[in-house]
Amino acid sequence: MTDKFSFHMNRRTLIKTGVLAGAAQIASPFVRTAWAADTIKIGVDNPLTGTYAALGKNEALGMQMAVDEINAKGGILGRPIELSVEDSTSGDAGVAVQKARKLIDRDQVSFIIGNINSALAQAIANVANEKGVFHVVPGGHTDSVTGSNCHWNTFRVCNTTSTEANSVATSLIKNAGKKWYYLTPDYAFGHSLQAGLEKAAAKLGGEKAGEDLTPLGTTDFSSYLIKAQAANPDVLIILQQGDDGVNVLKQAVQFGLDKKLHLAGAQMELEVQLGLPPEARVGTWVFEWYWNQPGVPHVAEFVAEVRKRSGGHVPTARTWFGYASIHTCALAAAQANSLDPVKMARAMQGFKLPPEIALMPDGAYFREGQNQLIPNLYVGHCQAQGKDDPEDLFAVEEVVKGADVSPTLEETMCKQDWPA
Amino acid sequence: MSQLILLAVVNGLIVGAFYALMAIGLSLIMSLSDVINFAHGGFLAVGAYLAYSMTPYVGFWGGLLIAPVLTAGLGLLVEKVLISRVYGRDPLYSLLLTFGLAFIFEDVTRYIWGAQGLPYQVPGWLMSPLSLSLFFLTGYRVFMMALIMVVVGALFWLMTRTRLGLRIRAGTLDLETVSILGVNVRVLRNLNFGIGIYLAGLAGVLAAGQLGLQPTIGDSLIMPSFIAIIIGGLGSLTGTLLGGLMIGVASGLATVFVPSASEAVMYVMMAVVLLVRPQGLLGEEGRF
Repeated sequence: MTDKFSFHMNRRTLIKTGVLAGAAQIASPFVRTAWAADTIKIGVDNPLTGTYAALGKNEALGMQMAVDEINAKGGILGRPIELSVEDSTSGDAGVAVQKARKLIDRDQVSFIIGNINSALAQAIANVANEKGVFHVVPGGHTDSVTGSNCHWNTFRVCNTTSTEANSVATSLIKNAGKKWYYLTPDYAFGHSLQAGLEKAAAKLGGEKAGEDLTPLGTTDFSSYLIKAQAANPDVLIILQQGDDGVNVLKQAVQFGLDKKLHLAGAQMELEVQLGLPPEARVGTWVFEWYWNQPGVPHVAEFVAEVRKRSGGHVPTARTWFGYASIHTCALAAAQANSLDPVKMARAMQGFKLPPEIALMPDGAYFREGQNQLIPNLYVGHCQAQGKDDPEDLFAVEEVVKGADVSPTLEETMCKQDWPA
Repeated sequence: MSQLILLAVVNGLIVGAFYALMAIGLSLIMSLSDVINFAHGGFLAVGAYLAYSMTPYVGFWGGLLIAPVLTAGLGLLVEKVLISRVYGRDPLYSLLLTFGLAFIFEDVTRYIWGAQGLPYQVPGWLMSPLSLSLFFLTGYRVFMMALIMVVVGALFWLMTRTRLGLRIRAGTLDLETVSILGVNVRVLRNLNFGIGIYLAGLAGVLAAGQLGLQPTIGDSLIMPSFIAIIIGGLGSLTGTLLGGLMIGVASGLATVFVPSASEAVMYVMMAVVLLVRPQGLLGEEGRF
């Protein structure tokens, strides 16, 4: 009897809930419009799972920090902002595109941010261009995004592979030797980075001792390392990132290659270094942003705030990319005094980021006609253990000006497609 | 060049032995329970992370000993609660279940230990190369190879010399008859699953010694293991071992001649085996 009664109650509750839900459906467009008029949404289409999850998480932290700062100062054009976050996955362009369309069509975001994976960044750029939405790439480096496939509405806060390659080449040739062997991940990013390095090295009299393309997701690099060692180069250029980067470095050091030749590469991330045992933190690399910059205004405050939010961890270049991406959106709206994408994009041509956001000795600006951020780059070597901080794993030897090492606008082959 | 080829072959055998360790676990489960365990990589990651968390208290050796056992315990539980429910149904059910489990394992690992990769250290004296010319033979790789040989040897002994092993092998051939003869098939499948997961956990701890510890650590290792089973033949542990060693060597040799095909060569081998001898090199006909 009790069972029967409770069943009826449940059914009634169910029906009531159904009616309420239905009513909410009818009412919700009005509710949503009223709410949307107040809040400006920024769509984030970046990896939260898979290989790039750690990088994505750090970017997300930087983004949220920027949102809080902007809201504390009154938001964008007097309206509060909020993030609509989607997991793009680490490598599925189909999912990333679907999420971008959802963010733009259903969530009505005014800006879209994405992606760490170059291929996904390019795919999102194409959707954003088709829909005419202001787009910021927070971490996919392939040249074409602000090069041969550039768009008027796509801005990028991380560097191009060419710029990274040029920044480290001079120092490597001078200090480590001219004969380079390349271990390159077999996809767009790796090819583009190796091409950039080969070009830069050739200009400086460098020569290629050999190359190996490694499939993405390779776990055992021993055969490649045996081959590279047999070619007897001065420098072993390691271009793998993420898990692959950790695996190749760990194995190279286990084999004692760091004592026989110079290990180096054109892009290194603090996330990779933190995943390595101390003895494998070696070699010459480029960091795109580094947290330990004594004397550069506002950096210490930024680091302190990130530490508060991350359980004591320092910001990485990724944290800064996320932070700079959101501020770029807010600055664009403020400069244009409008949310019109064309006006915002025009307002950002040649725009110099304020020092409290740039957080670099020479500042950073978006190059006109390309929408590519031209920042400082940090060339140096990795160290097993920091002197004062366990996460100080990189010693900066030279701060390179992005303008000195970036390809010219003509070389990038970017031709922007502004709407009539 | 000939020296390079020799190095690649020896190195390929080491890598292949590792694939075989994973593949044998998968093959045990596949043969007796008809479950293609896509969550094997997830168990591998759990084993690796458990060892990482344990190391400060029990050291590397303690972790190597205890973590796989705990992983096997988790395997027994998962089999009892979830996987045993889909036995006897269309294989699609178990495929979807273990596929879902793989995602859950990855996310739970990320939730507990974080998305940031962690450094897992093995004792320093194991890390150095044995000699200058054989620089790729580190103490750790030799140790890994030796341990795998011992474990696989023990497994073969278990399968041929003990009552449990005989029952598992009999069940692989004809589960119904084994059941009619009074063997508790549920317990048999549960224990068999546990043994398979023990091997995954052990592979995880060994892998963490030379790879980065990431929530996705099992992902890239699972495909070669499937290939090893298909090449070696389902139902044959010797075949699986052979399959693992063969793809390791083939992959190593491909690196010398066509580096970008080092992964593709495994799939080519699989395709050739499927065309010429679909049951695998040492497998029985009609199982696949």
